[in-house]
Amino acid sequence: MSSLTLRNLKKRFGRVDVIRGVDLDVADGEFVVFVGPSGCGKSTLLRMISGLEDVTAGELRIGDRIVNEVQPARRGVAMVFQSYALYPHLNVRDNMGFGLKVRKVAPAERRQRVKEAAALLKLEALLDRFPRELSGGQRQRVAIGRAIVGHPDVFLFDEPLSNLDAELRVHMRSEIAALHKRLGNTMIYVTHDQVEAMTLADKIVVLRDGCIEQVGSPRELYERPDNVFVAQFIGSPKMNILPAASAAGFGQQPTGTAHVGIRPEHLSLVAPEKGQISGKVVISEYTGASSLLHITIDSGETCLVLVDGDAPEADVEVGLVADFGNLHYFDADGTALRKSQVSG
Amino acid sequence: MTGSLTQRQLRLVKQVCWTLSLCIVAVPFVFPFLWMISSGLKGPSEIFGRPSLIPTAFRWSNYLEVFSYQPFAAQYFNSLYIAVTVTVLTLFISSLAGYALARLRFAGAALVALFLVSALMVPEEVTIIPNFFLIRWLGLSDTHWPLILLPVFGPQGIVGTFLMRQYFLALPKELEEAGKMDGLSRFGVWWRIALPMSRPALAAVAIITFLNSWNLFLEPLIFISSLEKFTLPLALSNFTDPYGSPLWHLQLAATTLAVVPILIVYLIAQRQIIESFALSGVKG
Amino acid sequence: MTMKPATGVTVRGERAPWLTLKMREAIEAWLFISPTLAGFLIFFAGPLVAVVWYSLSEWNLLSQQATFVGLANYNDALFRNPDFWLVVRNSIVFAVGLVPLNMALALALALALSRRFRGVVFFRTVFFAPVVTSAVAWAIVWKFLLQGEAGFVNQLLAAIGIQGPNWLREPDWAMVAVIVTRVIKMVGLNMILYIAALQAIPRDYEAAARLEGASNWQIFRMIIWPLLGPTTLVIMVITTIGSFKVFDHIYLMTGGGPENGTLVLAFYIYQQGFQFFDVGYASALAMIMFVIVMGLTVVQLALRRRDT
Repeated sequence: MSSLTLRNLKKRFGRVDVIRGVDLDVADGEFVVFVGPSGCGKSTLLRMISGLEDVTAGELRIGDRIVNEVQPARRGVAMVFQSYALYPHLNVRDNMGFGLKVRKVAPAERRQRVKEAAALLKLEALLDRFPRELSGGQRQRVAIGRAIVGHPDVFLFDEPLSNLDAELRVHMRSEIAALHKRLGNTMIYVTHDQVEAMTLADKIVVLRDGCIEQVGSPRELYERPDNVFVAQFIGSPKMNILPAASAAGFGQQPTGTAHVGIRPEHLSLVAPEKGQISGKVVISEYTGASSLLHITIDSGETCLVLVDGDAPEADVEVGLVADFGNLHYFDADGTALRKSQVSG
Repeated sequence: MTGSLTQRQLRLVKQVCWTLSLCIVAVPFVFPFLWMISSGLKGPSEIFGRPSLIPTAFRWSNYLEVFSYQPFAAQYFNSLYIAVTVTVLTLFISSLAGYALARLRFAGAALVALFLVSALMVPEEVTIIPNFFLIRWLGLSDTHWPLILLPVFGPQGIVGTFLMRQYFLALPKELEEAGKMDGLSRFGVWWRIALPMSRPALAAVAIITFLNSWNLFLEPLIFISSLEKFTLPLALSNFTDPYGSPLWHLQLAATTLAVVPILIVYLIAQRQIIESFALSGVKG
Repeated sequence: MTMKPATGVTVRGERAPWLTLKMREAIEAWLFISPTLAGFLIFFAGPLVAVVWYSLSEWNLLSQQATFVGLANYNDALFRNPDFWLVVRNSIVFAVGLVPLNMALALALALALSRRFRGVVFFRTVFFAPVVTSAVAWAIVWKFLLQGEAGFVNQLLAAIGIQGPNWLREPDWAMVAVIVTRVIKMVGLNMILYIAALQAIPRDYEAAARLEGASNWQIFRMIIWPLLGPTTLVIMVITTIGSFKVFDHIYLMTGGGPENGTLVLAFYIYQQGFQFFDVGYASALAMIMFVIVMGLTVVQLALRRRDT
């Protein structure tokens, strides 16, 4: 069990700064998700924690120990890889027991640990199979099992679900969540999928270009994004960002507002003359329970609106009303202006 | 169809002509082997007589004479154990170096690679004279050491290094990283994960290294003087009468003994062997 | 149930590591590469420096003393010893005879064998077989086949009314004989390199050209041949360099004779160094060979760079 502390952590590949000063505290037992677009450095950051990449500058602590120069296997961490990285020449049992064997754990205890992990992950029936004989989901579970048997302080997951199909991904997601509840270990999880991040995380770290954009609980990020980037990255379909002038109809704005953000689910349709602003439906995407409308508003911008049930066809004139409590205001730099700053 | 040949028949005729012409071209590639085997079973008088692929009397005694004329069994064994030693050492050393060049980051890696490549371009005839004196100075003349050391550390070993490097580069990195997380040392990662996954490349290196050593001629010629330390290529040309003319029947019987086992292995594993050469791309 | 470990397995050493991960990796790398590097320095780099020194010295084998003589050995080779230019001429004739013949045959065989048909594996196996055979065995057998009157080749020619030459005893015919037998021995290697290159060409190109009505020859000339360009270049240089290195083949078939008619550079170096023990002169020859091969390599690299 361990906490994790990152202080001004930096990574440089040749002349490229991949991680540019990251500060982060992870409490013992927390489930933290690193999320961000590809190339944001989230995987690199995870690999620095694992020890597979060395730290260029800054300080990395696991528990109360500085581990910058400690070899991966001595950090008390275990990693689940994107490709699962199961040894093709070993069966499931030996794959899971390999690390224990390398570390010279007595055979009896090794067997016991593998058995426990296999039971936990429902892998008992597969212990004698080889990786090539397993389905994607089974491989994934073996990879997790391999991490478990070492009893690490911290689990690291590097986009573990990205090679699975959509259905399996949802299923494995809940298994990982259950696992965290059960083991109570600190877990760090990298993904580019914000839905995965929202559903799993105690704490989400949004990264962009090697810097942290915001750290917070899923609810915090959804309700109070610190800036336009986070606002648009978290939530699906993504938040509409309108110039302050175009959104004037939604009500008073704090001083300095350059952009106003409103999520598609916080807009509702009314008759054209009753709307705070009005526009015309361009595309109407029906997805069953809800429809996503692309609406060109009078000032020319396109606005996404999520409506339940029946939705107007294309070319219909509509009015839009915003849920005032869910409006977000950003200054010219894209930084969020808080509600308290609303004058009047 | 209009009287003459159908499409199908036409294709068949074409195919037959094609195969026949390839067969004719193949004659100078195959016939020497057949003639070697056949002549190795003929007596000295018949050998230049009326040409016939089947000897009038099979003289199996040629094969006994081969072993009594000179210590051919010992020479055969020399070739075999030297080739095996060279192969094992080359596999070990070149895959270690290839792994470092493929996977490890260290200052000077590019320079080391450049140096090694440059050695590939220089024919061994250029360095053989100083190497001769080096070996003599080390007191290793007329031993098998130079036949082991020079190939292992020469161009052959470097070809192996780059072949292995190329293969390691194409392996998924995550497996080795998983090994590292599991607590393997660098050597352990190489030995227990990278190598077991590199069997095709190891096989390719083994094949070309073995054949190269088996067929080595210049080095034995220069370094070996005792008959019982000869390797096969030296021994083969050594079946001569007191005036230095070749005793063809013995020479060809001995050559058959040297060539046929290799050919059999080649026929069994031809795909693998041809691919190995295609991989290495340089030789000859 | 919880899986709280009674004893964690992951080692949690408290001691601060005295090596950074980077340093550790570098040390491991040098350790891994050290056997190869040591061998390289001892058996290649060292000798390469030594051969330069040797080539500038006169060696007395009896006293084992070397005297610095400057460029005298090179002077001997280039201006005084007529053998040298004969050797250069022979080497060039050998290369000029061998390289085009080898490449043309390799390409023809590759074109014939790059498609699947019944027996293709058999023919590939046959044409490649001499490559795996030792040069010594190959030379012995062909020397036997090419014996004067009683040799099989001449008996065969006699059967159709041609009187064959005494192949290995007449300088010009000997050169022809060593070239042709060497080509047969080595053509398989270039053949498979060409086959690999041909199979890498997408079949769509050919199909598209055929739809536009191109003939076989046009397809070869305008599509396949240009796409084979890089391969042809590599093969050409490898084969040319290889032709300068041929030693065992000639040593066994002709011994450089007759009348030095097949005395080529690699053999000449051996002869001067190890038969006549003229170490300084042989080293100068080795340096000249080094320069030639390096020159060819540089040309190849330059051409390849221009290509890409």
